[in-house]
Formats: sequence, structure tokens, C-alpha cells
Amino acid sequence: MPEVYEVVNGPITCHCWNKDRSKLAICPNNNEVHIYAKKSGKWEVEHILTEHGQRVTGMDWAAESDRLVTCAADRNAYVWTYTGSAWKPSLVILRINRAATVVKWSPKENKFAVGSGARCVSICYFEKENDWWVSKHIKKPIRSTVLSLDWHPNNYLLAVGSTDFKARVFSTYTKEIEEKPDSTCWGKKMPFGQCMAEFTTAGGGWVHCVSFSPSGNKLCWVSHDSSISVVDQSKEQDAVVVSVKHTYLPYLACQFLTESSIVAAGYDCYPVLWNYDDNNKLTFINKLDQSEKKAGGASMSAMNKFKQLDTKATTASADTELESTHQNSITQILVYSGSQGSADVFSTIGVDGRVVIWACKSLEAAIAGLKFS
Amino acid sequence: MSWTMNSTAMIQRKSQTQMIPSKVEALKLALKDPPVQNKDKNVVERNYAVVLDVLTGFSIGKKDKDSMQAGVEALSTDELDSLMKYIYRGFTRPTENSCEKLLNWHEAAFAVGGLGSIIRVMSARKSV
Repeated sequence: MPEVYEVVNGPITCHCWNKDRSKLAICPNNNEVHIYAKKSGKWEVEHILTEHGQRVTGMDWAAESDRLVTCAADRNAYVWTYTGSAWKPSLVILRINRAATVVKWSPKENKFAVGSGARCVSICYFEKENDWWVSKHIKKPIRSTVLSLDWHPNNYLLAVGSTDFKARVFSTYTKEIEEKPDSTCWGKKMPFGQCMAEFTTAGGGWVHCVSFSPSGNKLCWVSHDSSISVVDQSKEQDAVVVSVKHTYLPYLACQFLTESSIVAAGYDCYPVLWNYDDNNKLTFINKLDQSEKKAGGASMSAMNKFKQLDTKATTASADTELESTHQNSITQILVYSGSQGSADVFSTIGVDGRVVIWACKSLEAAIAGLKFS
Repeated sequence: MSWTMNSTAMIQRKSQTQMIPSKVEALKLALKDPPVQNKDKNVVERNYAVVLDVLTGFSIGKKDKDSMQAGVEALSTDELDSLMKYIYRGFTRPTENSCEKLLNWHEAAFAVGGLGSIIRVMSARKSV
């Protein structure tokens, strides 16, 4: 059974976990960042960070260096360091003139990427001489708002999904702080800002989320035209984009759990499992939410019946609760735990204010015939 | 064949759908190559008239070979998406004869295409 935490009464915009998952940072759809700590099985607010002026749209917690980076609609980003008793913000000069939408630390945590409505991605790194964070922009050929980012495990390549209906892979090699990258299946020469690959969506819809596989050879993206697409770049010349126009509502988030398992979730309010095998086949495996509707309202008192009839013109119990665990759209999926190359627990947040933690092993036990390969 | 070059010929070819005995084949031909980027409104209208003609020729019952269900099952995902676009286009101009048939078509297409096919009608930037 998934662990459900009803954290706030409204939508959660974004969330992230610290390294040992003892702390949870969320944005409750306003300009604050709430940091929760787990106390006796419940999440309680430990700190409230209020540096941002407008809604916090993205955040990420660097596991090793224990730093938090947040970005907001006020065109700013802050890097927060914990001083033992409080979180101290450090402003990042993003140089954008529109809201930031998403932020992600790189795997080595020496830089992070910020996507924004300014049609660019800001790659930020720390400049020691001036003791501040500076940014370099990747502008071409992004033509519209950046909605999602995902880093390749090699710390250089970045996947970008945007509302210009394209998913792209860029190089973020920053010569000031790192060595030249080795060549990968995405290309040999990787100067900063080079677009290594560009993919479009099957029917023309905003790319809501992009995700690299654990090896970095495959890229998956989901878009608003109810499609999910995967490309396996390790096949180089034979690399072909496999898209499936599915029959469900669009997905807002996707995440590779292993090299061939993808979990996706969106407006349908439940996560689903897709499988991509070596024969370039992308198949829908199963819905991952098997919770049952509460069998309530079995017998209504006579007074209630007439009350219902009076106010709602019906005697049936007006049940507005969904069958799924989440009561509203799921907006983000994060890997909660697992080894390198295979995640076995993931967390989801949604517009209903719930944080739900799903364990693959217990899902395999609960759903007949389900296997995370 | 590109629509801009051969509009009249395309429509004539599609009009031949009236002569094809198999309704499912006629449907596939009518849905082929929708004039998505054509600037000529006349062409788009006439193409739509041909498609509507074919659609109203199907029967509502579930089992026979001329039924909408058989028609829908024979289509590929892309053809189904095209069909949904035509159905919604039909909804915008309801007529005496088309309403019932279009609603039944919608039910049949939705059973196969699901919510995704309707989403694709709305998010597609090329209308039929």
C-alpha cells in the first residue's frame, strides 16, 4: 500500500527530499518553502523560508552537499545552505526577464540548471572569486517556455522539454569549472549550449516532462497530446523515436525507474507503468493504483434522503471522492530510493496536497502479474 | 498527392467512395490525407462533405459488417484521430440528419480511442 501524507490543504507546486529522506521540502502553492521533518510518523513543519516574492515554481535538494536550490516566478533563484539552526539564502544572478519554471542540480552538484519562460535555460555555477552564483544561458534553438529538465548521469548533457513541442538534449560543458567531456552516444563534440539532438512530439503538444534512463542512453518525454515517446540513442544511426498515442489523459510527469521501466502520471490522478524493451517496443503495462472506493453511505437516514432530494435533486449519495489515491492531478514524480540503475521506491505530489510514496515491491505484490523489469 | 496541387482530383477520387461496396474501405479512403494545411476553404468544405457522406452511410447496429464498430476497429491510431477531428467538426454544424449518426460515431470511436483521441483533437494545431 502506498504511504499517503496529506501535507497541505491546497496544491503542492513542487517537492524534494534530502539525502536520507528524513526531511521533505515543498512549496504549498505560494511564495514560501516549507521544510518538514518526520516526527513520530507524521510530517511536521520545521522551517519556513520566505525569501521569494512570488510563487516558488521549482526546487531541488542536493543530496551530498545538503544544499537546497529554489526558483520562483519572481525571476530569481536562491541556493540555501543549512547553518545548523536556520537556512541561509544566497541569491543566484539568473539574468532572465520571465518567471523561472524548473530547477535541477547536476549529478555532481557543481552546477544546476534553471528553465524559465524567457525561452532559455540558465546553467549556474559558483564563482569563488566573487562568492556568488553566476549563470550562462542556453538560448538557441529554444522557442518557448521550458517546462522540464533532466540531467544525464555524465553531468554534462541536459534534456530540456518545452512548450515549443520539442524535447532537446543540450551540452552544458562549463569550461570554468570542469574538464572536457568524453564522447557519448549523443555526440562527440560538446561545446556549451550545443543542441545534441532535437525530438518532436507525435501530435504537437507541450512537452510536460523529460527523463533520461539511468545509463543516459535513452530519453523519454511525455506531452500534452496524450503521447509518450522514447528514443534509444545507443543505437546511434539506427536510433528511432518510438511514440505511442495512448488513450488516457495527458501525463504531466514521467520517470525512468530502470533501463526499461517508465512510471508516468498526470491528469488521470494515478501513476501507470510503461515498458520499453530492446526491440523498440513501448507498451503499457498496468495502472499502479489499485485502491478501492470507500464503501460508505450504505444506508442513509430518512432525513438525509429528503435533505439530499431538496438540495441536490437526487437521493443517491453524492460521492465526489475519486477511486485513486491522489484526489487530483499528479504533477511530479521523484525517485525516493533505489540503487544506481534501478529505483524501487518513488514519490508523487499532486494538486490535492498529498505526498504519496509508492514502493515497487509492494505494488508487485498487490497487483497480479506486475513486474518492474 | 499534395492537396494544393490536385484538389479537384482528390475530391473526385474521394467521391468514388460512393461506388465502393465495402463501407469500411470507403471510410479508409475518405479519411486518407486530410487537407490539414490547405488554405482553400472550398476544398476543405468539399472534403468534409465527402467524409460526412461516408459516415452517414454506416449503420448503428453493433454486429454487422457495415456497423460503426466494425469501421472503427479497422482504423489505425492516426486514422482514428482524423475521424475524431471530423466528428468534432461535425458537432460544430449540426444538421437534421447528421446529429444522431455523429453521436453514435463518437461513442464508437471513443470506445477504441479513449480520452487520448479527444485530447489530440483539441491539442492538434492542424484542423481538418
